[in-house]
Amino acid sequence: MTGVGLRDLDRSEETPGAAVASLDSRLAAYVAHRIPDAEDVAVRDLERIFGGASRETYRFWLDYRRGAESVSRPLILRRDPPGSLIETDRAIEFGAYRAFFGTAVPVPEPLWLEEDACWLDHPFFVMEQLLGMEAGPTQLVAPPYDQFALPLARQKWTILGEIHRADPSDLGLDSLMETVAPDACWQRELTYWERAIDEDELCPQPVIRAAIRWLRRNPPPPPERIGVVHGDFRTGNFLVDREGVIRAILDWEMAHLGDPLEDLAWSLNPVWRWAGDERAGGLVPREQAIEIWEKASGLRAEPDALRWWEVFSSVKGQAIWISGGKEFTDGKNQDMILALSAWLMGNSQDRAALYSLGQLG
Amino acid sequence: MKPEPGRFLAAAAGHLMLKTAGALAPGYEQSSVSVIGLMLTQLAEEFERAAARRIEENRALRRIFADAVAVVADDVLRAKLAEAARGDDTNFTVSALEQNNCALRTLLIELHVHVEELDSEAARRLEAEIWRELVTSTERRKLGIGPF
Repeated sequence: MTGVGLRDLDRSEETPGAAVASLDSRLAAYVAHRIPDAEDVAVRDLERIFGGASRETYRFWLDYRRGAESVSRPLILRRDPPGSLIETDRAIEFGAYRAFFGTAVPVPEPLWLEEDACWLDHPFFVMEQLLGMEAGPTQLVAPPYDQFALPLARQKWTILGEIHRADPSDLGLDSLMETVAPDACWQRELTYWERAIDEDELCPQPVIRAAIRWLRRNPPPPPERIGVVHGDFRTGNFLVDREGVIRAILDWEMAHLGDPLEDLAWSLNPVWRWAGDERAGGLVPREQAIEIWEKASGLRAEPDALRWWEVFSSVKGQAIWISGGKEFTDGKNQDMILALSAWLMGNSQDRAALYSLGQLG
Repeated sequence: MKPEPGRFLAAAAGHLMLKTAGALAPGYEQSSVSVIGLMLTQLAEEFERAAARRIEENRALRRIFADAVAVVADDVLRAKLAEAARGDDTNFTVSALEQNNCALRTLLIELHVHVEELDSEAARRLEAEIWRELVTSTERRKLGIGPF
């Protein structure tokens, strides 16, 4: 445990261990700044969690006293890295947590957003940590969690429907996220991710380039309504307790306003078939997932429009794997997850694109 | 090189995933070591086929370009296709084969764009041939643990 009084402001951070040791004291100093009436503020058991591809994620315990009360709380720190799979605005991610906290969409409680890099070298935010949860997609489709496949699917796509049913202005998200006209949703997203591929590709992408041309030749109809799009809604981005209940939806870093079908299509992408069969997200057949979502959202997944967004989801996915591979190759971020994702997912994403285009049976 | 590199990589992967990772406390470093082990298994798979799949694909692409010469309407593109079709791999290092592969796949994209805009049965046949090659290219690159 390191308290504020012991803080070491040396930022040389030559080794990972030293980096964490320095980080916990600086984090304690930050918390003391945010809770001025707290005493004996300490951060302990600070440990980086593997897998956060867009931000460095740490878990830790925060201890402090406030008057006669002793507080001990497990928390999460999400800090911007030097480079990542996706470059996103942490204010939007934090804002999404804040908007949905306490609603039918379960999320951890967001606590503090800090954009001043003076505290921890990079912007960051802090939120509640939920203990005893499982998020790993391969774990969730294996015993003992596989017994919950159907209830998990019902919760997963019902929650997604709730996200899409929500009015962005009621949540205050219309002022935080860029607004978009219904007939411009598809073009904005496609242009954004195509540009990412243009900038980061390390080798030619004939499959994805063909997919992009198909998308531009066959634009989808405008959405029934503009909604909050989570941006990465899939098995692996929610926390499940031991009774098979989804306790929190995570990883809102790509959240934006747009066509709700974008999220549905992403959740159905074949690269998330973790169970090794045709079940969407490793949970239920695709048609069943769509039915659950339609009922919860009050929207209809018009087949041609959904197909457009499914093809798009592979373009976006490939852009993410390409960008991660580029970051790793350039040495900006040597996190193994970036290299693994580029190797493991790139070809599968091409195959998913071919499948959605009807070229792969 | 004996033991075979693939055999060594498999053994190294097993060591990292089962022994080294197991000796570390659960957390970021343990997961990183496990991932490195997992990547070594993919590397072993790729090491064995790295040259073969590129040679096979480069030949397939040159065959398509040879077929395309009679179909394309653009003189400049036709000349590029003819030249590429006459080419061959003479340096069999993976980096040289990869360099040729990237050049050929860049030309494939250009050809695909052009063919999509042509209105003829020959163009549709060529387009179908390109799609078949794209599917086959993903078969060549498939990894045993790839998700799809």
